[in-house]
Amino acid sequence: MTRLTILASKLLSVRNAGTWLVALILIATSAPTLAKPEVGAPAPDFSGVDSEGQTWTLDELEGQRVILEWTNHDCPYVQKHYQTGNMQALQREAIAAGYLWLSVISSAPGKQGHVGAEKANELTETRNAAPTAVLLDAEGTIGRAYGARTTPHLFVIDEDGTLVYMGGIDDRPTSDPADVAGAENYVRAAMAELAAGGSVSRPVTRPYGCSVKY
Amino acid sequence: MRRTVDVWNRHLRQVLVIACAAVLATSLFAPAQSVGAERSSAGSPTAATPSVSAPVTVSRVETEHLVARLIAESAAVVPGGNVELALVFDIRPGWHTYWRNPGDSGEPPKIDWQLPAGVRAGPIRWPYPELIRVGPLANYGYSGRAVHLVRLSVAEDWPLGEPIELLADATWLVCEEHCIPEEGRFHLRLMVSAAGDASAGPQGTDDEKRLRRARLFADARAAMPAAGRIAARLERQDQRLRLRVPAAALPPEPTSVRFFAGHWGLIEHAAPQSWQLQDGQLEMDLASGAAADATPPTGLLVVDARNGTRALQIDATANVLSGAPSGVSEPMPEQTLAMQGQRSGPARGAAEPLGLPVALVFALVGGLVLNLMPCVFPVLAIKALALAQQGEMALRQRALHGAAYTAGVLTLFGCIALVLLALRAGGAALGWGFQLQSPVFVVLMGYLFLTLGLGLSGAVTLGIGLTRVGGSSPQHGHLGAFATGALAALVAAPCTAPFMGAAVGYAVVQPWPVALTVVLTLGLGMALPLAALMLSPALARQLPRPGPWMEHLKQFLAFPMFATAAWLLWVLSQQAGSAGVGAALAGAVLLALGLRLLELTRAWAVRWRWLGRGGFAASLAVALWLAVGLAAIEGGASNRTDTVENPQQAGLAAEPFSAKRLGAARAAERPVFVNMTAAWCITCLVNERVALTRPAVVSAFTERDMLYLKGDWTNRDAAITEYLAGYGRNGVPLYVYYPARGEPRVLPQVLSESVVLDALQQ
Repeated sequence: MTRLTILASKLLSVRNAGTWLVALILIATSAPTLAKPEVGAPAPDFSGVDSEGQTWTLDELEGQRVILEWTNHDCPYVQKHYQTGNMQALQREAIAAGYLWLSVISSAPGKQGHVGAEKANELTETRNAAPTAVLLDAEGTIGRAYGARTTPHLFVIDEDGTLVYMGGIDDRPTSDPADVAGAENYVRAAMAELAAGGSVSRPVTRPYGCSVKY
Repeated sequence: MRRTVDVWNRHLRQVLVIACAAVLATSLFAPAQSVGAERSSAGSPTAATPSVSAPVTVSRVETEHLVARLIAESAAVVPGGNVELALVFDIRPGWHTYWRNPGDSGEPPKIDWQLPAGVRAGPIRWPYPELIRVGPLANYGYSGRAVHLVRLSVAEDWPLGEPIELLADATWLVCEEHCIPEEGRFHLRLMVSAAGDASAGPQGTDDEKRLRRARLFADARAAMPAAGRIAARLERQDQRLRLRVPAAALPPEPTSVRFFAGHWGLIEHAAPQSWQLQDGQLEMDLASGAAADATPPTGLLVVDARNGTRALQIDATANVLSGAPSGVSEPMPEQTLAMQGQRSGPARGAAEPLGLPVALVFALVGGLVLNLMPCVFPVLAIKALALAQQGEMALRQRALHGAAYTAGVLTLFGCIALVLLALRAGGAALGWGFQLQSPVFVVLMGYLFLTLGLGLSGAVTLGIGLTRVGGSSPQHGHLGAFATGALAALVAAPCTAPFMGAAVGYAVVQPWPVALTVVLTLGLGMALPLAALMLSPALARQLPRPGPWMEHLKQFLAFPMFATAAWLLWVLSQQAGSAGVGAALAGAVLLALGLRLLELTRAWAVRWRWLGRGGFAASLAVALWLAVGLAAIEGGASNRTDTVENPQQAGLAAEPFSAKRLGAARAAERPVFVNMTAAWCITCLVNERVALTRPAVVSAFTERDMLYLKGDWTNRDAAITEYLAGYGRNGVPLYVYYPARGEPRVLPQVLSESVVLDALQQ
């Protein structure tokens, strides 16, 4: 009898190969998937509370250029840019150029990089960072709306609310601080092109770093 | 049938006949058993090199999350030679490292080499990755163990005896959910010896250690993507990407397929991927990535199939389909050479060398020649004799006869072609003669030949129209002719005639109407001689006059039938081992018993005949059950790596075919002879006998230091099917000679000593 069962299964498998075979592989993950923002299209709207308790809504920021920076202070790739002062310098440059700089922390509670308001402020102070605000996105809502993948991951939104850049901070996808010098900073380049009245020539680049800890 | 023969005489004759078949079977089977003997792992360490500094072949760095080792495959290298290094991570459970495209986050390991002048390190060659999900994100990487291979090449003028000191600074990122960048410095010292005994183990290493190391490298190579790139199509539709890959390139019966993009931006790494096999293509639906238009459309297809997991390199840059891997994979320079021979054709589709008219002519000629092949000839000889016997039929009768015969041939060829095309459409990597890759089919054919042999020898009377091979009454003639045609086509499968290979190879990559036309033309060619004989009285008159000698000849022709049955048993021994042969022999004895019972009761009163029929039915049922039971064994033996080798052919040591081995030899400018064969392919075995094992050929091979690679297609083998497709072929035999330098040459399908020698001379 077992022989017959083996035969039956054999025949079935041969039939499978012979017939048109359709297989759908579904992921067994309960987490909602990431949205897929597009450059040139309106940036996804969001509303989030910062470490001072203030609410930021993209709709209400019309007329202002915005940079979103996903961050996680324990991530080696974030540390590379904060320890060298690279990120802080970029933040100051952006703010001086009239941008709003919103750092976003999407780490879920219990995961690496998750901080409360107090710790967030402390980090800003100890690292001498200069963001306009630090959004606490523990639920990952903003992160998912932007499809934020890594820390750091940067998004530039122009005054019309159009997403004009998304991707990495620069072209050296390593955690080695020595690579900051000599790297081509994509965000700085985008700001320069926008300031010159042009459009961003490299609007999408590979974000690199640690995964966002949703 | 001579009814006057004494009953005991007939009994005796039958016993002799069966004994003869059994002896043939066992004698053929016996040498086959020795094939399975395990190759013993290579020998003793060679004499220690008189060197002040001992070689260092392993360098180890341990971190909190993994143990990293840089390992040399061998301790010594020849000037001008290569040595394989592996950067091995043994990663803590729950942690992972990254592939060259790390996916949504992460970073692949990097190695910064500090090498003396004259030593060069190649790029990292990556085993295929796994998909590692991190929340809504996905990474491409490795858990457990990651082995990165790097080939080190040494200049020809490197001074002998001077060891090579190498330093490697590696950096890598290891992540659980959070990530830790780590680094390590590795130091190796390799010996340079003139003997070129690269297999020499490091001093003091015991056998077990060496075996473990050999296994580590072997496993790493097994996890490398298959050589060559498969040309694919990638269509961009909105936010989706549709990837089309020729199904022939995939291993048979895939159970899961995943595409790993070679670069960031092409696809959404974490998105679900759906796939289906349709019209001979694998179609995948992928979510397009953030920079799909600006990213090279390359990557890996990792396919789980019955025979394990395989990774294939996919390249949709040219946006064309081809069944055979072609071109070059950047990280594996040695494959460039391996695939050179295929580059001209398959990149634009394997069918280019042959147009439809040529294919049709080839098919017709191939079909004609098929009549002379050893599998088919006995069947036709008997039929021709039967024709002579019934010489004086009316033209109409003869025409019907010829038409029935032709229809029989065409029907069976058509059926085989349709089944083949249907299975290929379903993604199975099959080719001409595929039915013989099934042990069940082989046993059933064996039963058929045994029955035919018994019938011819006169041990039993085959009265049923369908098996009426030598049918003498015109009433049964048409059905008999149809059956003969079908039978001839059925037994033709193992015999590949000249011209046929190219025609069938062309056919299977065409749309089905074209494919069917070519195959039917082949059948037509095969049916032509006998049909002509039937139609033309002038030709029929040329046949010798019927007489008592015909009965003798008929009985004599039983022996090719038994020989064929015995040979099929030998094929079975390759496929299903001794258990399979045992079952088949038991079935054969039962079948003979059943046929005998039927024969015995034939003369009895009607009310007792059921005894014979019942007995026959029962024994036939058990024999069939035994045969079908072999399906369970099918595939069990398919992972064999030994080739069909005859102990008498020791003069020519063949290595099992692998594209990698071919590539390595080509890179070293060593001439290679590739022989694609199968146990069930008589043409192949005959070629080996009359050409490839001849002393002149053997010595010519030896003189040239020829690497003789033999691919065994007895069981399904996707790698061989792929290689055959690269030469526009769909069946064995295929002989390719790769000179040390220059383009490979394809030899004819029927070899002789001089054909092989001439090919080598050119």
